[in-house]
Amino acid sequence: MYQTSELEINMGPQHPATHGVLRLVLRLDGETIVEVKPVIGYLHRGVEKLSENRGYRSVTPLTDRLDYCAAFAENHSYVGAVEKLLGVEVPPRAQAMRVVLAELQRIASHLIWLATHGLDIGAMTIFLYAFREREKCLDLFEGYCGARLTYNALRIGGVPQEFPDGWTEALRRFLDELPTRIAQYETLLTGNRIWRLRTEGVGVIDARTALGLGLTGPTLRGSGVDYDVRKYAPYENYRDYAFDIPVGSKGDTYDRYLIRMEEMRQSRRIILQALEALPDGPILAKVAGRIRPPKGAEAYFMTESPRGEMSVYLVSDGTDKPYRVRFRSPCFNNLQGLPTLSKGHMVADVVALIGSIDIVLGCVDR
Amino acid sequence: MSEARAVVIPRPAPLPWWKRFFLVEMLQGMSVTMKHYLRGWREPFTVQYPEERLPLDPRFRGYPRLRMHPETGDELCNVCRQCEKICPTLCIAIEEEPHPSGKGRRPRQFTVDYERCCQCGLCAEACGSDPISAIYMSHDYELADYGRDRFRAQKDRLYLGFPAPPAGKGKAPGK
Amino acid sequence: MYPVLQYFVVPFIHGVVLTLVLLLCVAYLTFMERKVIAFMQVRIGPNRVGPRGLLQPIADVVKLLIKEDLTPDAANRVIFYIAPVIATLSTIAAFAVIPYGGPEATVSIFGFPIRPYLADVNVGILYVISISSIGVFGIVLGGWASNSKYPLLGGLRSAAQMISYEVPFGLAIIGVLMVTGTASLVEIVQWQQQHTWLFWLQPFAVVLFFIAGVAENNRAPFDLPEAESELVAGFHTEYSGFKFAFFFLAEYIAMIVVSALVVTLFFGGWLPVTFGLGHLFPKLPALLSGAWGGPWVMLLFGMGWVFIKVFFMLYLYLWIRATFPRYRYDQLMNIGWKFMIPASLAWIVLTGAGILAVQAIRS
Repeated sequence: MYQTSELEINMGPQHPATHGVLRLVLRLDGETIVEVKPVIGYLHRGVEKLSENRGYRSVTPLTDRLDYCAAFAENHSYVGAVEKLLGVEVPPRAQAMRVVLAELQRIASHLIWLATHGLDIGAMTIFLYAFREREKCLDLFEGYCGARLTYNALRIGGVPQEFPDGWTEALRRFLDELPTRIAQYETLLTGNRIWRLRTEGVGVIDARTALGLGLTGPTLRGSGVDYDVRKYAPYENYRDYAFDIPVGSKGDTYDRYLIRMEEMRQSRRIILQALEALPDGPILAKVAGRIRPPKGAEAYFMTESPRGEMSVYLVSDGTDKPYRVRFRSPCFNNLQGLPTLSKGHMVADVVALIGSIDIVLGCVDR
Repeated sequence: MSEARAVVIPRPAPLPWWKRFFLVEMLQGMSVTMKHYLRGWREPFTVQYPEERLPLDPRFRGYPRLRMHPETGDELCNVCRQCEKICPTLCIAIEEEPHPSGKGRRPRQFTVDYERCCQCGLCAEACGSDPISAIYMSHDYELADYGRDRFRAQKDRLYLGFPAPPAGKGKAPGK
Repeated sequence: MYPVLQYFVVPFIHGVVLTLVLLLCVAYLTFMERKVIAFMQVRIGPNRVGPRGLLQPIADVVKLLIKEDLTPDAANRVIFYIAPVIATLSTIAAFAVIPYGGPEATVSIFGFPIRPYLADVNVGILYVISISSIGVFGIVLGGWASNSKYPLLGGLRSAAQMISYEVPFGLAIIGVLMVTGTASLVEIVQWQQQHTWLFWLQPFAVVLFFIAGVAENNRAPFDLPEAESELVAGFHTEYSGFKFAFFFLAEYIAMIVVSALVVTLFFGGWLPVTFGLGHLFPKLPALLSGAWGGPWVMLLFGMGWVFIKVFFMLYLYLWIRATFPRYRYDQLMNIGWKFMIPASLAWIVLTGAGILAVQAIRS
């Protein structure tokens, strides 16, 4: 007697909840999702191609612009790849400093994730609380490298400068304050019945499917796979630190939320260990002024960015410019999981899921 | 293999019925916002930007500028073109002329396109002048102006800094 | 001549004045909302226009007035125009029966008695519930007439939501009617004057009524029809300028109406807050209600108490909005049908049993 027809709506590229310029084509049956098709490319700047026309040193600022919420992680992957290409050994002090900054970046990035994820689900106050703490992280980055968002904080062979005077004390003050702040967020969200209703059982993905889709980072660990580059292919001196890799049991949005909250605490733990055992010594290895790797050399280097496995593949043709730079961005792969995750859920869940897989469009489109 | 170990995150148990009925966790959440309200009344975290400004860190990277020799007052730039080469956005252009003393060269015109500059600071690091770098990252970060051509900063502006934009119509922000 | 003045012209002027006051209240309610939520979020909120930002609502109104008023090409123009008017008028009309002073605070202006309420209908509660449910037509029609997908979804959501929460909204009041034996809002407050605030007798009904009211007003955490992270702006996505302002007005007036209803039904309306000391100091209620100074003073005091109480209810709205995430559509329906309605029915049974028990003890 009644016939319903499917409604096709465009979510984005200008939409309050798509974290940038993601466009989702939703096919709805009432409020239920029949199909989600992500359409990407609105932020494509051709960074990979641009990199082929820059000297090795000049590519670092470009990598800042990939994942602008975690620019340090992108710097790290690229610089690490060049070092691997050249066979440069990074001095121990620089390694420890990189770990400190990388984990601080993880905290900052997870805070912005928490802010936007909370806002998408409708908890708007958490947005400003998380931004308040993130602001302190950015202040620390500004004190270290002079920029708040696009750091360009690494050089091939090490780090460009020492921590300024008083910086480690400021960092410690921030870390002392962090657990009480996280406890506040947890009071607002973790136990809240609305939050649990909105996240539990939403976007369940089992380990097999998640691995098959190439998800990485907290999105994969939510399904119970303990894959973390810091553990399975340790870079810098990560093998010296004791820390936990939180994994989930059910693979839903709530698990991914709990994991990221726990990762902030673990990052704090790593930073404290690294500050405790900060070795002395040089911070920049000797690298030739003009970087010309041998012809045909190639390197693949991966780091655990806050969003997952961020890796860079470099090929040299013997000149001072890379022949090919390939960024394997976690956001791009994680976004591929969205159609699978959101099948059968409702419009409101798509929004929660975009927040849950934590994408940054600069990183998806490159 | 590092010392990292995987730990399964425990999920909080479902709430007991009496907690659900008396909205316990909701009231806890509301107490957090109330605490912030009582303090936020007097101590907002935000800054009223045009009037109040946050202090900049000494290492802050604003737009690049040029400087003279601190003692002699000569131009430091010796046109080694390292900055031009390393700049990832290709925003630096230098025209050179022989130095009047007959030794070396000096820039006849030095142009930085502030519209393209991404403030990465690589130019200041690469600068090969002696004894200090000629190009440095200033603390200027406000660039509003009334024309695109005004962003192609040349030597006058690079040495003297940014003049205030010409007075436009209307009030300046914040009275 | 005189009856025309007394029964037509004077109430008309009364209504106009009431509406204007209400509009001013809405303007400053938006200001209060922005300020309170700002303080909860450790920021300042509007502070540029006027001293401490106090003129901000005026600036907002002016902005909305002079903004371009767009109508989508494919919209159904007539309904598109009428929808916001329906939404606003129905909520304003609901205010007619809400008392802001007792009958003893009737003042006379030019010989005409002006009572501190526009009308004392003996089915006051039914009037409020029925007239405020007309508001849903405004939203549904607005969503549909925009001929756009997001407003349509928003309108559908809001239709389902408002209709299902109408039920517990009405059922929660039945306990009050059973206890007081009247449906006139003025008489309910007078009953509370003689006995005690109904809040002490009907605590569960207050919570149910308030939650249902929040849901019916489409306010957080039940603000699905305009959930900005999902539906952009819900049913008023295509509205701009003054038509948008009308929807905005409707939402905020509805907030005030529900708050005023809660205050009138459960918190003693214009009665003063004596913190239970009325029995210790018998003169206290008279002192605080202004009974010492004639009808004008009583009117002022009554309005003051209503204002303060409504203020606290509105504050609660904002506090909740600042704290909680948003429900999902199906969860909202679940709560409405599977918890609120059974719970309010159970409460009616419990109230009935209580009344019988009291009668048995008394006799």
